[in-house]
Amino acid sequence: MITIPPAVLSRVAKPARYTGHEHNSVVKDPAGVDAAFALAFPDVYEVGMSHLGLKILYHIINRRPDAAAERVYAPWPDMEAEMRAAGIPLHTLESFRPVGEFDVVGFTLQYELSYTNILNMLDLAGIPLKSADRGEGHPLIIAGGPCAFNAEPLADFIDFFVLGESEEAVDDVAAAVADWKKAGKPGGRRGFLARAAAIPGVYVPAFYDAAYNADGTLAAVTANHPAAPPVVTKRVVADLEQVAYPTKPVLPFLEIIHDRIMLELFRGCTRGCRFCQAGVLYRPVRERKPETLLRLAQELVDNTGYSEISLTSLSSADYSCLKDIVGRLIDQFKDQGVSVSLPSLRIDSFSIELAQEVQKVRKSGLTFAPEAGTQRLRDVINKGVTEKDLEEAVGAAFRAGWSGVKLYFMIGLPTETDDDIKGIAALARRVTDIYREVKGKRGAKVSVSVSSFVPKPHTPFQWYGQNDMAELERKQQLLKTLFKDRSVSFSWHDAHVSFLEAVFARGDRRLGEVLLAAWRQGAKFDGWSEYFKFALWQEAFREAGVDPHFYAGRERTADEVLPWDHLSAGVDKAFLEREYRQALDAAPTADCRRGDCSVCGVCQGLGVDIIDWGASS
Amino acid sequence: MSVKYRLAITKGEAVRYVSHLDYMRSIERAVRRTKLPAAYSEGFNPHMKIAFASALSVGVASEAEYMDIELTGDVDPAAMGEALASQLPPGIAVGRFRQIPATGYPALMAVVNLAAYRIRLPLPAGTAGDAIEAIGRFNAAAVVTYIKENPKGKKEIDVKTYVREVAATPVADGLELAVEVRITPTGSIKPTEVIKVLVEKFGLPADPDTALVTRTGLFVADGNSRISPLDI
Repeated sequence: MITIPPAVLSRVAKPARYTGHEHNSVVKDPAGVDAAFALAFPDVYEVGMSHLGLKILYHIINRRPDAAAERVYAPWPDMEAEMRAAGIPLHTLESFRPVGEFDVVGFTLQYELSYTNILNMLDLAGIPLKSADRGEGHPLIIAGGPCAFNAEPLADFIDFFVLGESEEAVDDVAAAVADWKKAGKPGGRRGFLARAAAIPGVYVPAFYDAAYNADGTLAAVTANHPAAPPVVTKRVVADLEQVAYPTKPVLPFLEIIHDRIMLELFRGCTRGCRFCQAGVLYRPVRERKPETLLRLAQELVDNTGYSEISLTSLSSADYSCLKDIVGRLIDQFKDQGVSVSLPSLRIDSFSIELAQEVQKVRKSGLTFAPEAGTQRLRDVINKGVTEKDLEEAVGAAFRAGWSGVKLYFMIGLPTETDDDIKGIAALARRVTDIYREVKGKRGAKVSVSVSSFVPKPHTPFQWYGQNDMAELERKQQLLKTLFKDRSVSFSWHDAHVSFLEAVFARGDRRLGEVLLAAWRQGAKFDGWSEYFKFALWQEAFREAGVDPHFYAGRERTADEVLPWDHLSAGVDKAFLEREYRQALDAAPTADCRRGDCSVCGVCQGLGVDIIDWGASS
Repeated sequence: MSVKYRLAITKGEAVRYVSHLDYMRSIERAVRRTKLPAAYSEGFNPHMKIAFASALSVGVASEAEYMDIELTGDVDPAAMGEALASQLPPGIAVGRFRQIPATGYPALMAVVNLAAYRIRLPLPAGTAGDAIEAIGRFNAAAVVTYIKENPKGKKEIDVKTYVREVAATPVADGLELAVEVRITPTGSIKPTEVIKVLVEKFGLPADPDTALVTRTGLFVADGNSRISPLDI
């Protein structure tokens, strides 16, 4: 057991990140379990503790008598320096044992800019960074989450990936580890990996070889081991009613990013926005029953003492029984001082009505995401909202008493022209005009946040060449000149960050050396602007002899082998191609839940169905 | 009908590094888990009606904290104690408590004016004599000026207004100090600042970062009398 000296804790910021003892944390005797998991989040405590996926894994693993799950987050750089100076290895918050002593270390991959933190955490744990250098005494390093759907940039470092939903897969992995250990670890690590490769959804990168063409493009990724399937397909839970939900989450002392109850209404989204990776990865839509949600909410309130329930999903306004569930939650909890919040809203007046409903307990801001400034471009991305929708929603919001709204947009989308950029400013101006029409005076607070489009694997835009940084910056500057009104505040994301995201989102195995080089030069917490150093990445690309523009800015042809072609989200590549062509024609595709099936292949291929309680009742 | 209780509670080793705000929030959540009929303030962001005597710094534990809590209904005191004990996080325990008048009773913040601390201070081997001498010089000084810095700015204070003397007892790896600090309406000084003053101004041969501070008492003091906020 590791003890951190008081002097260390008194020198670092927010020492409660490192001291554990949180309510509902599960501390098991390591000697009593066969499979000990260290669940690692490659970012700081307050971010990692907010993540629902890890709460689910923690709950499901700890439910097993033969397994234990403990937590570990990336120490903030002040703590890392203290740990290195004092020789304190990376350790968990439950048993304070070194991460290197666990059977499995599982990382969740939420965003590309957390990759260097994974290397840094392995190093702090004293675990060799590359899978090939690990011996029999080292833990198995596994990873899951959205970025696992293009696992290739991390192929050198992760022993195996698990694609898709974890509830059932993690039980399979835990059982496999326990069985293998009880059998005396036959075949050693490689023996275990062969067993793991037979579990649906598991991808063992060492069991595949990548070959390249003379022009640098990928020729093929081929299995080199009999246990490795040619294509690994994601796991999907057919019915969310049948899997456990974490109703006793670890309660932090520190204020974390999402410091409230997270009640997941449903998984998936059928709107089909063409830029959206989550919309593909989590298909199809599967709703929880309202009765189930009410029961889970009561358990969560009883077990946490939180005063806010946040209804989460990719698009909560699309929950078929939303009005019903919001009303019933408010009724059930209003006397206990517990409020309800809706973090993601669709742009329509129905949503405003609901927002008003939940405001009875608590006031919060309103955010809309038109994503693009003109109708033509919104048709390209299949956003499915019109300027009229926005006008009505904003008008309803102002009439209901809100005076400020946030608007989210992207620049650098396929087919975008300067007219589309100007459309963003025009839309923001239209919102301030509506305020004046409704209120008869000025004073609307409109904040416009603009990110740069990053093409993501498994989406219709996966082939698209990202705008280069100079072009993105030109568009940002153009937009800046268009916001003269002081009632509109304008912020944008660093184009360098978006560029790096694009490189790693669509990268292949050759990026492993770049990651190593960047980490060696000190890259970490790249998602935090105070630590992001682009120059260091440029140096890393040079050192590894890799051209980043090859990955970010190059338009792929339809026949090019993509680094994630052997990893399947269940959605057909032909469907994505069709959607890309329709995008270029600005032709919309209907929501498959209520309109015609768009034959993306997921229900048919995975043998699952859309579950929509509103439609069935 | 509203009922108020005053409770003695602890901030033990498990929560030593939890900030005052986080400590309060953890207690609020524990109270919510007990389902006791806690009273809330009105308004958009209703707050549980809980009050504390004086904030503890991050890293400081306590054997003697006090909190007042208002409930909207009558509860059996024994049941309340049990309910809280079952829900409070490790390190936070309920000691003695009693019902206090719902109105017109002085708030903790207003009456507590003295805090006692025990400080474990490791010292380099063979420096205990020098350390005790340094503390003796501090005790003998009439005025000790110190520039207190916080995010709002700098303020010059006389340490002796708040701390008359520091008692030192040698222990295995250093000293155990006993300090009483006055809390006044215009301010106070933190025990860690007292250590800093001893190191910087009196040559105490110690690293202030290694000091382990525990609050041992909070009092309503008048001259030489000291009573617990539970006994007023």
